[in-house]
Parts: sequence; C-alpha cells; structure tokens
Amino acid sequence: MSNLLGKYAIAGVGHSKLGKVPEMGPIGMFAVAARNAIADAGLTKADVDGLITRGPDDVYCHHQRVGEALGLNVTYSTSTDNGGASQVLGVAMACMAIDAGLCNTAVVGFGRDTWSRTHRTEAARKRVNIGIQNQGEFGPEFGWFGAPSNYAVSARRHMKLYGTTKEQLGHIAVAFREHASRNPNAFFQKPLTIEEYLGARMIVDPLCLYDCSIYIDGAAAVVVTSAERAKDLKNPPAYIMGFGFGNRLSGWFEESNMLTTGAKEAGEAAYRMAGIGPDDVDTAQLYDCFTQMVLLQLEDYGFCGKGEGGPFAASGALRLGGRLPTNTSGGQLSEGHTEGMLQIVEGVRQVRHEHGPDRQVKDAEIALVSGHGGNTACQSAMILARDAS
Amino acid sequence: MSEYTKPLPYPTIESEPFWEGCKRRELLLPQCRQCRGYWFPPGSTCPHCWSTEWDWTKASGRGRIHSFGVYHRAYHPGFEGEIPYVFAVIQLDEGPRMVSNVVNESPDKLECDQPVEVVFEDVTEDVTLYKFMPAA
Ligand SMILES: [Zn+2]
Repeated sequence: MSNLLGKYAIAGVGHSKLGKVPEMGPIGMFAVAARNAIADAGLTKADVDGLITRGPDDVYCHHQRVGEALGLNVTYSTSTDNGGASQVLGVAMACMAIDAGLCNTAVVGFGRDTWSRTHRTEAARKRVNIGIQNQGEFGPEFGWFGAPSNYAVSARRHMKLYGTTKEQLGHIAVAFREHASRNPNAFFQKPLTIEEYLGARMIVDPLCLYDCSIYIDGAAAVVVTSAERAKDLKNPPAYIMGFGFGNRLSGWFEESNMLTTGAKEAGEAAYRMAGIGPDDVDTAQLYDCFTQMVLLQLEDYGFCGKGEGGPFAASGALRLGGRLPTNTSGGQLSEGHTEGMLQIVEGVRQVRHEHGPDRQVKDAEIALVSGHGGNTACQSAMILARDAS
Repeated sequence: MSEYTKPLPYPTIESEPFWEGCKRRELLLPQCRQCRGYWFPPGSTCPHCWSTEWDWTKASGRGRIHSFGVYHRAYHPGFEGEIPYVFAVIQLDEGPRMVSNVVNESPDKLECDQPVEVVFEDVTEDVTLYKFMPAA
C-alpha cells in the first residue's frame, strides 16, 4: 500500500450531550454526534458514503442501526470490535477505504449509554454487574470481575519491578482533573488534590476510586475525507500523518504484556508512517480507562523509558504547560468514558487551535491519540497534525 | 452447609476434564506431545506449536504470585461478606499463568513473586475450586 502520510484528514468533529443522558439511547446519541460532526465539516448527509461505528456490545450490526437512524445509504460500512482500540482503528479503516476508492467521506464514531445502563437505578446497577459475571470460568468464581482487576495486577507488578508509587499514579488523575476543570462538558470539574486522591476508597487495591474512568452516556464522531477536500471545508483539517496497531492477542497475563503493551508496536508504526518520533509530539490524548494504562502508554509510546512512567507523571509533564500536556479535555478519568472517541475529538481540536488560552496547548502542531481495549489486548495509535508536511 | 451464592464456573467442552481433575485434587494442564509445552486456559490446540496432539498432565501445584489485587468492592452479592479479598495471577512452575485467589494469609503480608501452592475447596457437591496459599 502507498504511504498515506498526510493524504487524509479529519474534517469535522462532534459529540452528543455528555454525562447523564437518560432521555436518549446510544443510537440516538450517535446520530446527534454524527450530525454535529458533518455540520462541523461544512458537509451534508449527501456527502457521506462511508460509516464505521461502534457502540454497546449487545447491539447486533451496530452500523446498520446507526445508518438506519440517519437514513443513510453508503458504499462502505461496518462496525468494529477492538473495544476501546476501535475508534482510532475506525479512522484508519476510513483512510484505507478511501485510498482504495471504496468511499470518499466517512463518518467514524462511538456512542454508548453506559451511565444509564449502570446507574439509572440501583436495580439496573446490580443487574448489569451480575449479567456479565455469571457467565464463563477462570475468573468470576474467584471474584475476578473485569477491567479494574487487569490494571490492578499491572500496577502492582509495575510497583514491584520499578518502584512506582501510588502517589505517582495519583498525579495522572490530578492532572487530568485539572484539565477537566477547564472543560464545561466534563463529568467532574471540581479539582482533585493529591491528598484527596491518596485518601480515596480503594476499589481494587492498589487502584482507588480516582484511578478509574467514569461511566457516562455519550457519543462522538468524526468525519474523515481526503486532505485535498478537507482543505476547502469549513474548519481547518487535522491531517492524519500516521497510524499503527499492536494487538497482543496472547493475553494480558502472558509474557510481559501487562507491563509492555501493544502500544509499543502501535506507536512505532505510527511514528514510522508519520516520519516523526515521540519528541515531536506536542500533546497526547491517551486512552485512560485507568491511570495505570496511561502510565504504561507514556512508556510504550516512548515519552519516557520503561519503568519511568511514575516519575514522568509526577514531574508535572502531563499538565497544560508541562512537557507533554496529556488528556487536555480531562480524559476518560474526568471528562467521561466514550471508549476513546472523545480523545480523537480533543486531538483534532488541539491541532486546530480551537480552545481558549486556558485549555489550548500553545503552538500545538502534532497530537498523538491512542486507543486501547478489546479486553486489554488491542492498541491503536494515530498522529494528527496541523500541517500536512 | 449454607447455600453457595458466588458465581460457579461454566465449563466448556474443552475445560470439563480440568474441573473433573479439581474434584480429584489434581491440577491438570494440557501438555503438548510435540513441543512438551503447557498452556492454560484449556484449549484443543497447542498455542506454542499448534499441534492438536496433547495430554492432560498433573501439574505440581506450585508456583508464584505474579501479581495480585485486593477487592474492596463487591461486584457480586456473593462476595459482599468477603471483602477485602485477594485475587491473583499465579505463575505456575510449569509455565502457564492462571487467575485464582490467595487464601490463608492476610492481604498485606503478600508480595509479588512469593511462592504459593495449590489448595482445593469443595464449594458445592459438583464443583471444586483451585486456590493458592503461601508455600510452607
Ligand atoms: Zn506444542
């Protein structure tokens, strides 16, 4: 395949109402996000001929439900299944589909009613938990329930090998909350102190409440088209300079996968395509399901060495004004969890210089955006730039 | 014995012999005839060399705590009376890693890489779970 460096761009971004949105379902929120992204690009429904989606795992052929809601016929559409790594993957798939001549302008998005499903009533909360957990083997019977456990064992092992501390993890949560305080859409906007972090109740020790991302209702979407076309549209394009993937499908517990993730391969591929290195990145929008996952990615994407993520985070590097302002919307830890889709939106807004001075990374030219998920195995990375060269 | 309220394993066609082994106090692992490698969870193909010729082999039951966490929140009502409880990724001496509980020790005394050995717990008439405790 030809090098796609700078050939495609994100021309528009949008999202639905975020947070507690009990009045809408996941498909409805997606439709709003898609409408807003298309409008942001200055395009119309008639321009869209590609659709790549992801939503709740229990919605069969999700892209068909979304397309139905939007009254859309397209040449290229599918739903993705790499968990939180799907959203960056979807953007890359859009570039490849356009490059292959299969479509011209694609909407890529994610939407889920996660808060409503789990918090609307106490009964709903219990039903969701038990529904997931009474299936299967080699986990639930030992009280091993999903995501927090995976990152707790990763954090504990990281602490053992590298001397990482709880307080260092806390600096990730505190920095992102500080950013969220500048984001009126963030679920939690009240600043968090390191003392509050250290005093918080444990969920799965060593991870406490503030190490965990926030379930919200919400959808976000982007419009991908050729750089050529994007140049003449309503808003400045965010050029897609590179992307890459790493999928350590052998499993989180295998080899050293809970310490060095597929982000290493994903990052290397994305940097190679873009012709840059980690030192060229002005802002990172990292997949932050848990603080620990941010720590691992800081290392795996080469912003610091393996084992140095703790001191790097504690240095203040992640804050606005720091060496690598990260998750400048508050991220999933404070803005809310949309499986990484809002990270892409924020990466675009940063390289467009769209924010006011309190939230804008000064002179941001290059953003790294990451995705992670599919039950810990999958990683995706993308480089966005203000200029195509 | 009061009613057991925690989740029970849902064995598959590939894992049934493993659970039968637990009932007999045997920790069984699939072992490849071709490359002699072990793996877990059970599956019909050796993930190392892709051979489908293998045997159930009794493992030593010895290993180390690769890592662990302590639940302070019950995500299932069956665990409400248990918190805080320890779950761990156990590195077996034979190579594979498995999720389990570490019992008979206070959570704050545990460490990564600490030696452990298997113990079996009959939780219902039909189900025996494998757990680990610090090695003697
Ligand atoms: Zn083999």
